[in-house]
Amino acid sequence: MLEKFLHGFVAAAKIIGLNYSFLLSDYERIPWLSGIGITILLALCSILGSLLVGVVLAALLASRQAWLRGPARGLIELLRNTPTLVQLYCAFFVLNMLLNQVLGGAEHNPLTPFHWVVLVLSLHYGAYHAEALRAGIEAVPATTREAALSLGFSRVELLRHVELPLALRFSLPALTSNLINLVKSTALGAAIAVGELTYASLMIWVQRDNVLELMIFIFLIYAVLTYVVARLGRALENYLRMPGYGH
Amino acid sequence: MAIDNVIPASCSARIRWWAAPSPILLWFLALGAAWLLLYVFYAETITILINWLPLLGRGLLMNVLISVLAMAIGTVLGLVVGALELSPLGWVQSPARGYVQIFRNAPLLVLIFFTTYVFPFEVKIAGQYLPFPDWFKATIGLALPASAHIAEIFRGAVQSIPTPQWEASSSLAFTRSQTLRWIILPQCVKRALPPWMNLYAMITMSTTLASLVGVTELLEAAKNASNTVNRTDFTILVYLSVLSLFFVYCYPITRLTRRLEKRFAYH
Amino acid sequence: MPTTETLSLNHDADVLVALKNVHLSFGDNKVLKGVDLRVRRGDAVSIIGPSGSGKSTLLRCINGLLRPERGEIRVGETAVHRLQSESELIALRKRIGFVFQQYNLFPHLSVLENILIAPTRILGKDRGETEREARELLARVCLEHKADAYPGQLSGGQQQRVAIARALAMHPELVLFDEVTSALDPETVGEVLAVIRELVKDGLTCILVTHEMRFAEEVSHEIVFTEGGEIVEQGIPAQIFHNPVNARTRSFINALAG
Repeated sequence: MLEKFLHGFVAAAKIIGLNYSFLLSDYERIPWLSGIGITILLALCSILGSLLVGVVLAALLASRQAWLRGPARGLIELLRNTPTLVQLYCAFFVLNMLLNQVLGGAEHNPLTPFHWVVLVLSLHYGAYHAEALRAGIEAVPATTREAALSLGFSRVELLRHVELPLALRFSLPALTSNLINLVKSTALGAAIAVGELTYASLMIWVQRDNVLELMIFIFLIYAVLTYVVARLGRALENYLRMPGYGH
Repeated sequence: MAIDNVIPASCSARIRWWAAPSPILLWFLALGAAWLLLYVFYAETITILINWLPLLGRGLLMNVLISVLAMAIGTVLGLVVGALELSPLGWVQSPARGYVQIFRNAPLLVLIFFTTYVFPFEVKIAGQYLPFPDWFKATIGLALPASAHIAEIFRGAVQSIPTPQWEASSSLAFTRSQTLRWIILPQCVKRALPPWMNLYAMITMSTTLASLVGVTELLEAAKNASNTVNRTDFTILVYLSVLSLFFVYCYPITRLTRRLEKRFAYH
Repeated sequence: MPTTETLSLNHDADVLVALKNVHLSFGDNKVLKGVDLRVRRGDAVSIIGPSGSGKSTLLRCINGLLRPERGEIRVGETAVHRLQSESELIALRKRIGFVFQQYNLFPHLSVLENILIAPTRILGKDRGETEREARELLARVCLEHKADAYPGQLSGGQQQRVAIARALAMHPELVLFDEVTSALDPETVGEVLAVIRELVKDGLTCILVTHEMRFAEEVSHEIVFTEGGEIVEQGIPAQIFHNPVNARTRSFINALAG
């Protein structure tokens, strides 16, 4: 059934001059399809990681302790103002190398390139999330904050029950757009040979010289992934909408 | 800031004292100190780095060249596409919208692969074969998404001008294009400048992606140096230098952008 | 209504603006339901009535910012309801000044440039001559010292006076004032009204939509009371304000007085 469909598709594509014959070879189709899976997994892990980093950094930024705020601010600025690829190289070629030396050889190192990509993307986009959340916290009206404090909320309770829930609503559009950029950035995995979609496609087109054909697929797949993230973001915005505010 | 209202005066004064040195100053101080320490303890490594400096410098120039050129092409192209997007005619507007959607939503790395592998290595113009080098293909690969972003910035700025400005111009007998030229665009420049600068910083950082298609820019030069020298301390040093260089280049742009944004927010 | 008939019949030759059975709706909302109006050259006509009675819409139909669905609008020899092309509408708007409730000055241009831009760029007039005239206009609205200021640096009343000068710089045959004092602080309303009073005295044809009843009574040659997209009653100020025929007019005037 699948076999038949694939043959039909490849033949049909050939008529308009597109060479998709790699789909008929198990040695090429299976790694390529798993590349899609790895891209999705990479995106999911990094999304969760980045949100975690973002909330932690935002909480540090909102802290009254200067020794917490200062380093957090510094880290955020460093992460936002240097290229993701350079960060990835610093992580993979420097930190990973040092880790190998400490553990006495690469074979003892449990961290794979996949982990490093997740780590770097989480930190990089976490910094962007933190910035969006900070702006959201600043948008919380002073009167609301005063009301909470005069009801006896502690700083942490204020953050947890009032500031963050409101900040999340204010900054959700920015967070969604960060996450869309994150999904696109998973392509960076190709730089350190993580077998995600871009890398898997690269492996095929260097053999078969069918760049255009694969590009069409790649564009479509990323378009679907970013669309899904955008829709989920929009849905969450609707779900969290406060009656009487906005729209 | 609003928090000051609820913190005793003495306390907020202390916070201000701590917050006083700007983060940019702290970072530059830290960088300076790190270099000094390195020089004291790792004089040999520093010497190797100095030997590699001409190559790294040439790499950095390539990053600057690609980013400036990509922004220049992207700005011209983006203004055209943005103007088409604003057209009231559907058949003009929809292709422009499609262009923006495609190039804004595709990963930059994929676009750079696209222009590198799909474009020929030379083009024939008037009987002459002109080389079409990889660095220029990468520039196009960055100029395309830049133009899509600029089209959106431009469209957003035009639409942020309140409609009464159109109405007022109309009742003074301006045509649509006169209104756009003399009334709307001058007001747009101020609103579009901060996001345009943000985009410049983003494109500058993205020039490192060109290393993945074999362009010898700073990151690629650093990788070559690290592989050739093959010493742990040098590898650390060279990658951290690249990181610092980009930070020193991009952070001031970000600061300036933020200051402009704040200033315009009040007017 | 006998008064309306006699008024318009007597001065047919002088009529500058004539509306006949004008209809306009936004979606299901019928804003104008058959409006008839005549304004003679040199007259000041004030349109009063409750909010949402279509007063501002009426003004926007006269200078072609809005197009009525049915009916005729004439300004001088021009049949506004027939104008199709942008260039025809522009020719019309060169003859009609419009002053907005929210001033709508161009925030990126100085006061002087705000006044100069239309005469120099649109009419293609010589800059030196126009600038002299613009400064005279500024003097007339008592703002000659603000020529180089930007709109954002002026009070509401000052901005509105600049907006009036901007409209006058085009030498309009007719100026439409759309609730020009509604957005102003009470203290600055007087300075704007004083300017308009002078213009009316000089014989400029004006149509004013206003909530300033005392002012309307003082300067207008004719008052038009609208409600629900229709003209309920029109006549000389003394009649409308002190002896209205229609019950709805009476209750509107009485509510304001009480």
